[in-house]
Amino acid sequence: MGPLAPNELISENSNFLFAFLIGIAFGFVLESSGFSSSRKLAGMFYGYDTVVLKVFFTGAITCMLGLLFMSLFGWIDLDLIYVNPTYLTSAIVGGVVMGAGFIMGGFCPGTSFCGAAIGKIDGMVFVAGLFLGVYVFAFTYSWWEKLYMANYLGEPKISASLGLSDGLFGLILILVALAMFRVAEWAEKKFPREAY
Amino acid sequence: MSTSKEIKQTKYLNPYLGGVLLGLVLLSANFIAGRGLGASGAIKSVVATTIKTVDKNAVKTMPFMAEYAQSHVGNPMKSWLVFEMLGVLVGGFISGALAGRLKLKVEHSPKITSRRRLIFALAGGVLFGFGSQLGRGCTSGAALSGMAVLSLGGFITMMAIFGTAFALAYFFRKNWI
Amino acid sequence: MKPLKLLAMFVIPMGLIIAAVPQNKTNPYKLTAEEVLNEANTRNQFVTADVVADMIVNKDPSLRLIDVRSQDEFEKFSLTGAINIPSANLLSKEYSDILNQDTKMNVFYSNGTLAANEAWMITRQLGYTNNYVLEGGLNYWFDAILNPQKPASVNSDEEFAKYDFRKSAGLALGGGGLAVQPASDQGSASAKPAVKPAAKKKKASGGC
Repeated sequence: MGPLAPNELISENSNFLFAFLIGIAFGFVLESSGFSSSRKLAGMFYGYDTVVLKVFFTGAITCMLGLLFMSLFGWIDLDLIYVNPTYLTSAIVGGVVMGAGFIMGGFCPGTSFCGAAIGKIDGMVFVAGLFLGVYVFAFTYSWWEKLYMANYLGEPKISASLGLSDGLFGLILILVALAMFRVAEWAEKKFPREAY
Repeated sequence: MSTSKEIKQTKYLNPYLGGVLLGLVLLSANFIAGRGLGASGAIKSVVATTIKTVDKNAVKTMPFMAEYAQSHVGNPMKSWLVFEMLGVLVGGFISGALAGRLKLKVEHSPKITSRRRLIFALAGGVLFGFGSQLGRGCTSGAALSGMAVLSLGGFITMMAIFGTAFALAYFFRKNWI
Repeated sequence: MKPLKLLAMFVIPMGLIIAAVPQNKTNPYKLTAEEVLNEANTRNQFVTADVVADMIVNKDPSLRLIDVRSQDEFEKFSLTGAINIPSANLLSKEYSDILNQDTKMNVFYSNGTLAANEAWMITRQLGYTNNYVLEGGLNYWFDAILNPQKPASVNSDEEFAKYDFRKSAGLALGGGGLAVQPASDQGSASAKPAVKPAAKKKKASGGC
């Protein structure tokens, strides 16, 4: 019965080994899908390359379906799965700052590591920037602490806050995502795409 | 690598296939470790470790370190995300190597200089690093993994990231198109 | 076939299924029936009235008494500081933090021991630790603590010590005026069980 580590079916060290292996798979898939290229990533916001949308939502939906089906078969205890907490204020403010960083830098942390791994200097510089940003946060923490801790809502699920079951929300998400994919494919045909 | 007479395209995986594979990787993380993927947390661990090494009393003097120590017992480097990000480096390298994409270069739009690209990369990184701390995650941790477990916080952060990026896209268009 | 169509063909039916089927909300058992039976037969889940009385008198903060009878019975009489979780509501989500923890020693009690022992067995099978049963229940409590029998003169010193302790504890708990002697130096009954820091199923921490 999963998840394995919280149920102590594997040791902590095994868990770290798996973390490494999963990371390899993660990095491999990201790079193979083109996420090591900042121009591909930024293309999402100009319509010429919607790989981010497709990979992202397909990935989220695949995992979500996987978790729900596994729970249905009794293979996993969903209560033990980490659900990100909701601190309303900092979730929004942090997201806005990250959005700015994304459009300026053309990377996010995971993809910047991929880019750096294949030799992209802009990826490496982005990583350096990440460290700087975290240091800044660490040293100015007391200025942000109140904002950071504001509006803690627990760990609500989107489905619960909309009053839907997980499965029903999942279905809606799938339909919305597929619709977005259609629009994305239209956009790619419409906006010119030069070689990069 | 396929080449044609007019455009040179880099051969990447079909995005939907990539998405399914990514989802399976995320699923295995959830099944094995009970948590999703992430990236910014590893940076936080390294930062905390360096601060701790330089100043052993940081936990008492810096509220950031105190908050970190509360939720992370033991050696900060012995964290799931640190091992995972090391794997990401390896995995990305292998994939690039197999596809012949290993090349030391600054990727930028032909309309701007390398220098300009690097300046923006650094600025973007600083903003993203800072924002990821506030947002308690980045696109991998909060947005992707959060969405998969239907976390409201993750979803909100994701909307904020992509919404802001779209809103600001016009102002930075010169860098990309 | 276009990849998008292929994806949609797979994903929409799965979405329909998952939306239609009710969620699996079963609480998995962490111990087998045999394991629980073995533990029940050792009778280690019992704590004696003396130990509990001692803890109450000394205001031991690790004690948490849980009355598993109905609300009516709880309101008519309850032990000092006890909370009420009627057996019928034992598995409700709001109590899971109280029953599944490793900071306090929960002691179930009922009039006899039947209901309290049931509560122990069910929570034990869910893997919870640090839950115990008051031996003899309230019936024994009334007899032994609140109305202790003076031992015959031929009985051992230990018996007398126990009697003295119970008398003063009973008075203290019944609201009497005698000074209370702490019983800790008397080797009274069984040693107080230690609160085990549980092999608690902790959620993985994540995000960051």
